Amino acid sequence: MILFLQSLISGILIGGVYALIGIGLTIIFGVMRVINFAHGDIMMVGMYMTYFLFTLFGIDPFVSVLITIPMMFIFGGIMQKLFINRILGSLPQNQILLTIGLGLIMSNSAMLAFTSDYKILTTSYSSSSYRLAGLSISKPLAISFLITVAITAILYWFLMRTDTGQAIRATAQDREAAQLMGINVKRMSVLAFGIGSAMAGTAGALISPTYYIFPQVGSAFTLKAFVITVLGGMGSIVGATLGGVIIGVVESMGAAYISSDWKDVVVFTIFLLVLLIKPSGLMGTSRT
Amino acid sequence: MFSRIGAVALALALAIPGTSLAAKVKIGFINTITGAEAPIGENLTNGVTLALEDLKKTGVDVELIKEDDTGKPEKALSAFEKLATRDNVAGVVGPYTSACANAVASQADRYKVPQLIPAAAKEEITRKGHQFVFRLNAPADVYSSVLMDVIMSLDKPKTIAYVYANTDFGISTVKTAQEYAKKLGIREVANEKYQKGAPDFRSTLTKIKTLNPDLVFMVSYEVDAITLMRQSREIGLTPKAFLGAGAGFTTAQFLAQKKISNLVFSSTQWTEDVNWPGARNFYNRYKAKFGKEPSYHAACAYEAMMIMAETAVKNHGDREKTRAGLKSGHWNGIMGEVKFADYAGYTNQNNHQMLVQQVQNGLYETVYPAKFATKKPIYPFKW
Repeated sequence: MILFLQSLISGILIGGVYALIGIGLTIIFGVMRVINFAHGDIMMVGMYMTYFLFTLFGIDPFVSVLITIPMMFIFGGIMQKLFINRILGSLPQNQILLTIGLGLIMSNSAMLAFTSDYKILTTSYSSSSYRLAGLSISKPLAISFLITVAITAILYWFLMRTDTGQAIRATAQDREAAQLMGINVKRMSVLAFGIGSAMAGTAGALISPTYYIFPQVGSAFTLKAFVITVLGGMGSIVGATLGGVIIGVVESMGAAYISSDWKDVVVFTIFLLVLLIKPSGLMGTSRT
Repeated sequence: MFSRIGAVALALALAIPGTSLAAKVKIGFINTITGAEAPIGENLTNGVTLALEDLKKTGVDVELIKEDDTGKPEKALSAFEKLATRDNVAGVVGPYTSACANAVASQADRYKVPQLIPAAAKEEITRKGHQFVFRLNAPADVYSSVLMDVIMSLDKPKTIAYVYANTDFGISTVKTAQEYAKKLGIREVANEKYQKGAPDFRSTLTKIKTLNPDLVFMVSYEVDAITLMRQSREIGLTPKAFLGAGAGFTTAQFLAQKKISNLVFSSTQWTEDVNWPGARNFYNRYKAKFGKEPSYHAACAYEAMMIMAETAVKNHGDREKTRAGLKSGHWNGIMGEVKFADYAGYTNQNNHQMLVQQVQNGLYETVYPAKFATKKPIYPFKW
């Protein structure tokens, strides 16, 4: 029983961080129909930012999120204006090539600047936990989960209640109709990419105290983000949140009850099953 | 005019080898200078640099030809072929990784070039009866056996759990550990392979915690060791001892994580506080010159280069005589006593005594075997 509950809690907590990565990817896809293969590398930039804010200025990773979010928003916005904007109407394979290329440039620049050495961020709470009825809840994961919940709630409120949020959603629903209604869709695209990048950067910041940082760290997370987004339904924020938590829990349970060597097999089996039964993803609506 | 004199001199030098000053004995050095293994490769390069300085002081002057294998066996092989045929080296030190060293070993007999492997652990390398292949360091099976030996000297553990990276090194080390544990009558309760670089081991570690093993045996590269120990502390996994087989558990980065590295045992080829002649001095000089602490790889490479260069120069660069010299020689330097012997299926293998170190108060202390120990092992483990 302890094993079950412990795996469930760990899975949900780590799933929260996965969800954050997935939400970023899904917003970008929803508004621009561009699959951002540089997503993990944007996350890597967020990780390095957190690392240097901590080692150079002594700002705690969970506090430095307040700096990382706006910085990464600007970073993403500039990237959209300079590069992504130019290929919005072009063939999907060209878009994929562009985002993969941008990702490679980011990770290799990081390697030139910071070498390929692993950087480890050690905070006072990096290995601490709360004890609760025989269970242990990782302190850094619990805090990052709370931050994730707060950010997701704010984002949801922003998209649902504000004019700009509604404009973003309108652009996601139908780009041309939104434009005809007088929405500045170019600006919405910049906003969406900025928000997506900020989410990825934040996920990087939140995972930093328990993980480690190196230039190629992004690729594993790009794949994960992609799985989460497709599982939840491309473009759906609720779907991405759900997808992240599901992947987190399945990984955790797979490792506990089958074998840690097999957990990815379990994840991808479930992924395939969902796609077989509901090809548009859990919360997705099929678009033609 | 000059070119004619040069040509005559060259012809003379070629005609009477060994008499010309220009004909220094050449030694090849294959190492991983770029690529993923480069950080450890740097230790080997620095060790060899120090060895050349020391050789010069004693009047042994060799010409070193460095080759980079980038960690790929096919590159190591072509580097070796170049050294053997074009550069005409008397002998080769390296390569560093098991995969590369193994590839080169398969060709050393064909080219009849003595190869001295400083730090590659794969057992097979010296198990195939190659006459020109020598290995200084202890092979993989000793990594695990020496760790269990130290525990057996303190207690009679009953159960063991294995957690290890799904890599060649992880799998082969655990295989030897399982065989040895069986012999000692220690029962296996968990066997968990994991994907290198995973961010979350909590459920695996919880599972192990519920099985309550006496020993937890881990094989991990680099930073996975830190992730594993951090999450073990979170979960509250408290066996009687954590055993780390080399690699990620022997790095300065691991040591710096004071909260989680304390009291962890790890096996190593070399420590600076062991009483082998010159070990401490090597550590101090290395640190002064390169601004970093040497890993055991640096010491292995240093000693390998000393042995190879001395033997090759003594035999005027003759490959066959150098091979015979290595086979019959005996040394006592910073790696302790070195002798290349045939035993237990190995050929030209130095039966190197591996050491066990334990992190105590933020320092690696040698705790086993007793005659090399600086501190007593602390047992059982507590957070």
